[in-house]
Order: sequence, then structure tokens, then C-alpha cells
Amino acid sequence: MNFDFKGNKITATALLALALGVCVVAGREFAGNAEMDAVFPAEGFQKKMLSDYFGGLKGHPMDTPVFVQEGPEPGGSVLILGGTHPNEPSGYVSAALFLENARVARGRLFVIPFANASGFANTLAQEASPNRIRFAVLDGSVRTFRYGSRDTSPVVMWPTPDIYIHKSSGQELAGNESKNLNRAYPGDPEGTPVERLAYGIMELLRGERITLAFDLHEASPEYPVVEAIVAHERSLELAAAATMELIGQGIDMRLEPSPKNLHGLSHREWGDFTETMPILMESANPSQGRLRGRTDEALALSGRDKAYLKAAGLGRLFVPYDENGKPLEQRVARHVTAINVFLETLSLFDEPNGVSVENMPGYGEIVEKGVGAYLRKPNRESNGKPN
Amino acid sequence: MDWFWPEGFYALAMLAAFALGVFALSLPVAIAMCGSAVIGAALAGFGLPLRHLVEGMFGYIDTILIIATAMIFMNAVQSIGLMDAVAAWIIRRFRRSPFPLACGVMFLIMLPGMLTGSSTACCLTTGALVAPVLMKLGVPSEKTAAFIALGAVLGMVAPPINIPVMIIGGGIDMPYVGFAVPLLIATVPVALLVIAILALPHLRRNSAADPELERELERELARMEEVPLTARLFLPFVVLIVLMLGEQTLPGVFPSLGMPLQFLLASASAFLAGRRWNALESATDAVRDAIPVLGILMGVGMFVQIMTLTGVRGFVVVSALAIPSWLLYVSIATTIPAFGAISSFGAASVLGVPFILALLSRDQILVATGLALISGLGDLVPPTALAGIFAAQVTGVKNYFAVLKHCLIPSLAIALWGIAVILLANPLAALLR
Repeated sequence: MNFDFKGNKITATALLALALGVCVVAGREFAGNAEMDAVFPAEGFQKKMLSDYFGGLKGHPMDTPVFVQEGPEPGGSVLILGGTHPNEPSGYVSAALFLENARVARGRLFVIPFANASGFANTLAQEASPNRIRFAVLDGSVRTFRYGSRDTSPVVMWPTPDIYIHKSSGQELAGNESKNLNRAYPGDPEGTPVERLAYGIMELLRGERITLAFDLHEASPEYPVVEAIVAHERSLELAAAATMELIGQGIDMRLEPSPKNLHGLSHREWGDFTETMPILMESANPSQGRLRGRTDEALALSGRDKAYLKAAGLGRLFVPYDENGKPLEQRVARHVTAINVFLETLSLFDEPNGVSVENMPGYGEIVEKGVGAYLRKPNRESNGKPN
Repeated sequence: MDWFWPEGFYALAMLAAFALGVFALSLPVAIAMCGSAVIGAALAGFGLPLRHLVEGMFGYIDTILIIATAMIFMNAVQSIGLMDAVAAWIIRRFRRSPFPLACGVMFLIMLPGMLTGSSTACCLTTGALVAPVLMKLGVPSEKTAAFIALGAVLGMVAPPINIPVMIIGGGIDMPYVGFAVPLLIATVPVALLVIAILALPHLRRNSAADPELERELERELARMEEVPLTARLFLPFVVLIVLMLGEQTLPGVFPSLGMPLQFLLASASAFLAGRRWNALESATDAVRDAIPVLGILMGVGMFVQIMTLTGVRGFVVVSALAIPSWLLYVSIATTIPAFGAISSFGAASVLGVPFILALLSRDQILVATGLALISGLGDLVPPTALAGIFAAQVTGVKNYFAVLKHCLIPSLAIALWGIAVILLANPLAALLR
């Protein structure tokens, strides 16, 4: 059979109208992802913007909220950074849990839930990621978070170079890494949008003299550095003690020293260019892996996937994996528990700079009751408005 | 059956829909790919997911812009007379020295790929420049195209810039350091083989003087030299090289314009050199020639997105990893080029990273080098076959399958050499230390 169509002005007009219609429908869905997710901070948090630390971000789409709570007793300062990679939900959901539950008894707690805000506005082409993940809150209402892209949005940063050269080290990486916040440190105040964002975070670390800083991530189960803590040499001793405590609590955790020849990453440059003790943590997220099967919201939430189950049987994964998958509750519980253990260990190692945070749920509580049990109702007003 | 159902069924249904569209209904490849993506999504219960179809296309937006603008550039440098003038100069100077000529031509073809990591850039710039030289010196057009296509693939693999290695390295946090010599080991022997198989026999035959042929060649050379070869005639290439190298050598100082704008600026500089040319006509011709390939890329983008959405991609990748260990190398040599039918960079990401993780006991730099060499072959696999299609275009060959036929044996050698580099990774690494 051979359909030999001859085009004319009418068919051309019809095709253009069809293309326009497709653009409008898809464009509306795309534009709907630009709105920031609402978070509802616990009492005591004050909202600032990253541009308060680096004016070059003021009014820029890369500017992002920073929440601060100061305890009644003096101590050190801790930063929790979520959303470096918006396709790694346990990072930003864990940060949101601290923001909505923490009561600081000593020192100061800084929380940036959506570090690369622009990356939440789009998903990566050909990854077929879900647009949103949803959680049922205790009163029956629903909280949603966007599932974004590892990279900065192309609306903010395009085109990208074919080769990304990390400025301070000269290291060469594939061009798409130029949009990756965790390859941009220590940043550049005059650089690309993501380099300016990285610089803003460095300015916060320096200006607030942050004692201990967490960068929360997820990795695919076939990646060697997964269910792991990566620590700069300055934080290695603290990380070793925390890792032993976590293993003692029945939470498997690897400890990896930050490679000295891999540049642009938080665990390397935060330590080299500020006085903070950097810690990067990775949980296992099948919905971002290369081996995953059907890609949808259910996979992002449950981490259950038959392709990963088969890969586990073949010995291709670096984490234990069974038919229960890697539920988001478990991944968030790992991050929250590990941060709590670090804070306790910090108070033992460096008493004057200790930070004490109360009211955070334990590992078993999050796994049993779910993340939604610790998120606030969406209609609740905090500091006047949802933030 | 549990493993096959339903993702294996979706995969077969999508392939069947594609084959039906292309062979039974004679639809353009792009439309057939789009149709098979729509059918795959519908079968998997996603209905007509417009968002996914549009998003999938955007996976190739940069490639599409590069191809369209590189085609305009090629058209511009042809129109000002540069191609003919350079070809005539090379023929006069080197036609009695076939081996240095063939090596020089191969290096010229590879150069843009070595600097940009793109095989398309090779075919459409220096590939187009040397094509008339080889054909005038007696290399048949189909073999000339195969020579250019293979040179382009080796150019994208050769150092200093190799994007598949960077993609694989990014997947395991391996810095792009220490790859120059391994990538030369991977590319130089096969480049010599390609010269020996496709070019040398014809160039040697032609170097023996024949008075009648000589007279004919002289007439042709005189026509090609209508525009004198001056330094100014090279302006578009100089502008292109300055823009490309400036970005890499002076990061932060030199603006990062992106390859499409670099090609357009270099094309604009052609107004200042050689014959006068009509920009609108050249751009229209170039985009008209490129449209079928651009359409294929859009169709492939939708196809990949739906493969990922429905779980077909994971099914394919884990099935490749499930092959018994003694067959692992066969799997590497076949599945990576086969996935390259969709995209060679995609193959490096989707299959290259799992394969390097399956080979952790071997030197990672050499393994990544071997995998990158094999993933380059993806640019010769239809329906995308970017290197094959554009090499056919610059040599005037109508059917690019005729070009791919001549690429078969050298491609097999490239795949075997890639596997050898992986198998010998540890001893080679010890030698290089």
C-alpha cells in the first residue's frame, strides 16, 4: 500500500494548526510546573532569600528561599540543603520535613528545601519522569511536590557548551554537566546562572559560619556510591562516628571519602573553600536509574520495579533490593535519621558548636506512618502565608 | 514469561507498528516512528500522552539546530568556491603520494569531530571539503562516502574531546582525565585500516599517469580553480575554529555561544570572501535537504520517551545485562550499536554506564574508551545513521544504505577492536603507566 499525498495550501494550514494546538496543550502543562511548591514552616522559622547573601541573585529565577530557626541557647549552625537535584525527591522531602517539624533547642538551623528552584520547573527530555508526587496528609488533604530535572531549566540556561570546563580546576566534563548545581561549586559571581547559585550558597556558608552542612541526594541502585555518606577530610572523623552509630541502629550505610580529583561537588568545594564540615548523603532511588521499567509516580513513591528486581538477581546492584522496593518513606527516614545522628555526634565532638533539634520523627515512625503524617495541612497559614 | 510480559510485548508492538508504517504503508521514517510511539503509549494505558511526545522531541533540539545550521554553513562555503579551490590544490600537490594524501584527508575529516565530539560536524564541514578530492582521484562515490562516514565516527571518538566517554564517566563520577593516549590507541589503528580498505587501492591506481585521464583532470582542475585559493577564502573556517576553540580554551572569558550560533556566524563571514552568494537561497536549500533527518530525530525522540515511559527501555537494558557472562562481550558489541540506531550518545548513557559497572574489575579508563569506540558505531546504524546519511549527502549518493554496505567490514573491525581494548584493559593500563 502506498499513500501518495500531494500537499497544498489547505493541508499545510491544517498541519500548522495541528502543530499550534499541540504546542498550546503541551505548553500549558509545561508552564504549570513553574509555580513553587508550598511549604509550611514550623513555628520559629524565618524566611530569607539566598539573594540576601549574594545580591547577584536578586530577582533571578535561580533565587531560592532560605529558612532559619534560632534556638534559645547558643551553639553552632547547621545547613540542610535539599533539591540540588530535583529528580531526587527524598532530598527535598527530607528538608521539608525538617522545615515543617523542627524545634531548635540550641544553635541555628538553616533549611533550603529547593536549592535549584529552576530545575523543579521541567523534567529531562526522554526520561519520562512524572510531573508530581503526592502525599496524603493526616486530615485527608493532599500535599504535592514537583518531580523535576537534575539540570537547571533550559529556560534559564541555554544553550549549553559541548564541553563543560570547571573554572577553578580546569576539569572537563560533558556539556550537560554545566547545568548541574553539584558540579558548579565554588561558583562564580559573574558566571552562568548555576555558577551564581553555587556562589550564593558558598556565601551563605561563609557569612553564617555554618559548622556542619548537609547536601541531600539520591542515586540509582546500580551506582556504586549509594546508601552512602560522602565526607570531606575535615568531616571524615565525624562521619565515621555517625556511620557506626547508624549501622548500630540497623541502618546500612557506606562511608566514602570525597575524591580530591573530582571537582565542582559540594563535598569537595564546600570543604576546600569554606570552614564548614560538608556531608553529602545518597539514598537509593529506582525512579532515576537507567535500569528502571515503567516510569510513573508510583515508581517514584514505592521504588518497586521488576526490572530492578531482575537486575538485583543478576548481582548488578550496589544495594539490597527485593519485592518491597525502595519506598520513599524509607529513603526519607534514612536522611532524617542520619542528620539527627550527626547532630548528636557533633555535640559530642565539638560541644560549643553543638546544635540540638527536637520534635523530629524517628526512622520507624516515618516508615510506619508515612511521609504525609509529618507534612502540614496545605491550608494552614504559617508566618501569615504559605511559603 | 513474567519478564517478557507486558514490556516485551510493547517492544514488539512498537517495532511492528514502525515496520508496518515504513514498509507496508511507505510512510516517512519520522511519521512511522511517531505512530509507533503513539501505539506503544496507548497499549501501555497512557492514552495519547501529548506531554511525553513533545518532551521526547526536545531531547534532540540541540542536535536538530546543529544539523540545520551546519548544513547552511556547508552550503555557504560551497557557494563561495572554497570547496573546489581547496580540492584542486590538494589534488595538484599530493596525487602522486597516495598514502600521505589518504592519511592527511583522514585527519582532516576527523578534525572537527576531535574538537567538537560530533560526527555530523565532520561530515558537513571537512567531509564536504575532501569529498570532491577523493572522487576526482578515482575513489568511487559510495566508497568516498563510507570513508567520510567512518572518519567522522573515528573523529568523534578521537581525543581531545570524546562525549560518549564524558557521558559514561559522568555516570560513575570518573573525571575526564588520562584519556588522550587510550583514545588514540582506540582510533589510530582502525583509521589506518579504513584508509587501507577504502581509499588506498583507488588512489594507487589513479597515481599511475594516463594521458587521456590527465587531460580530463586538468580541464576539471581549471574549472575548480575559478576562484583563486587565497587565505581570505578560508575566513568561514577560521571564524568557526576561533569560535569553537575560544570557548574551550578561555572558559568564562570567551562567550559560550553554542554550536548552532557558531555555524551561523561562520556562515555570515562567508559574505566577506570568495564568490557572492545568496544567503536566503542557501539557507532554504540547506534546511530542505536536512528536513528528513530532522524529522527522524523528532520521531526517534518520541519513540525513546515512550520506551522509557512504558518500561520498554528498562526491559531492553536489563535483558542485555542478563546475557550470560561469556556472552557479555558479544552483547556489548551488538546492543550498543543497535541502541545507537536511536542515538549514539543515548547508547553511551543507557547501556555504556551499566556495562562499565559490570566490568569494574578492569581499568575503567580503558573500558570506557572501548565502550565509547563501540558507541560511535551507532552513528552508522539506520534509521538515524547520521554519519552515513550526511556522508551520502555530501558525495551525492542517493541511497545511504549503499554507503553503509561499504562501512560493514570496517565497522566490524571497530567493534572487535573496541572489545579487544576492553579485554586488554588491565595490561594496556599497566603499559601506559
